[in-house]
Amino acid sequence: MECLKNKTIQEYIDKSLNRVESSITRDHLIVCEKCRTKYEQYKKMEKLLNNPIYKEPPAKIEKFVMNRLFSKIPTYSSIFALIALSFILLVSWIYIYFDFNNNSIIQAFKLTSNSAFNWITSIITFISNIFSSVYAIFKVLNKLFMIIFNVNIGTQLFGLIILSIFIGVFFFVSRIVYKKLKGHN
Amino acid sequence: MKTFSSKNRKIILDDDKILIKKILSGEESSFEEIMRKYNKRIFNFVLRMVRNEEVAIELTQDFFIKIFTKLYKYNFEYKFSTWAYRICYNLVIDYIRKNQTYVNSLDDDSTYKKNSYMRESSTKEDGADVLEREEVKSYLWKTVNLLPVKYKELILLRYIQELKYDEISEVTNLPIGTVKNRIFKAKDLLRKEIEKDGMLKK
Repeated sequence: MECLKNKTIQEYIDKSLNRVESSITRDHLIVCEKCRTKYEQYKKMEKLLNNPIYKEPPAKIEKFVMNRLFSKIPTYSSIFALIALSFILLVSWIYIYFDFNNNSIIQAFKLTSNSAFNWITSIITFISNIFSSVYAIFKVLNKLFMIIFNVNIGTQLFGLIILSIFIGVFFFVSRIVYKKLKGHN
Repeated sequence: MKTFSSKNRKIILDDDKILIKKILSGEESSFEEIMRKYNKRIFNFVLRMVRNEEVAIELTQDFFIKIFTKLYKYNFEYKFSTWAYRICYNLVIDYIRKNQTYVNSLDDDSTYKKNSYMRESSTKEDGADVLEREEVKSYLWKTVNLLPVKYKELILLRYIQELKYDEISEVTNLPIGTVKNRIFKAKDLLRKEIEKDGMLKK
């Protein structure tokens, strides 16, 4: 009698043979010691494979994924960035459209302020100086932009675009830095 | 078990699908539950495939992030585990293709040289002592790691991920006949390998 194929023995263990094939295999296994040994080996192996050795996954996997997906900080930083952006846009708008430095109320305040309110005048002058410098920078950059691309979008609009890009970059960089720091803890 | 119908087909909501629905409605803790359920099997599958713990950790993390970002694409008509394992399988296979790390593996023609672990174990077995079951198990699973990828991936999907033949076929995109044949062939290789060292003797 011809010996069983290895595949047949495995299919017999898997119970994937039909009834006839299964009974032929069973009968052969009774009489053939060689095939029976193989059958025992496969059966033992099947049992061992069905009980795998699992290594416990490190806890940092779950921690990392949860932090990455549900970190609360991007929400806070979004709010912070939004407030900062709104503030800068608002102040820029006041300065550009109401001519902050030459505004009659500011001028009147500067002229009438006595020593008790000097600090307010100083703050106003300080803000004016910052804006004048930033405005000058934007003016130069806009001139360069005009020379390179031959398009004049105006210093004010150009300034607002640059500010928005700056805020966006700031937001993303702070997010990355935060995640790196959190990852180390 | 809840049911709902989509396109006139009744879909049975098993535990996984209920969790997915909750995640999609914004419940973070359900994702944590999914992770806890699959973490062990996914990590072990990846670890055995890439044979490097650091890489396995990274790939497991990538897998869960990918699952979460792709969740809105999940079709409730299919089993979640099969869908997830398919993503995991593709991730690992992509990694292996990019980083051909397989030098030390069993070949069909048995012309390979035994690695250090095997040499060490064979010297131990020269004695007539009957080995402990746990030792045989550990030896068998270490031998699984040395199988060629095309066999190993199927053995792992079958025994680590506990998938049926048809599910493996779905995950790997291989015909079910090929899956069965490769698994038989893999077990054949394993048996021959272990038999050499007398590990399966009673």
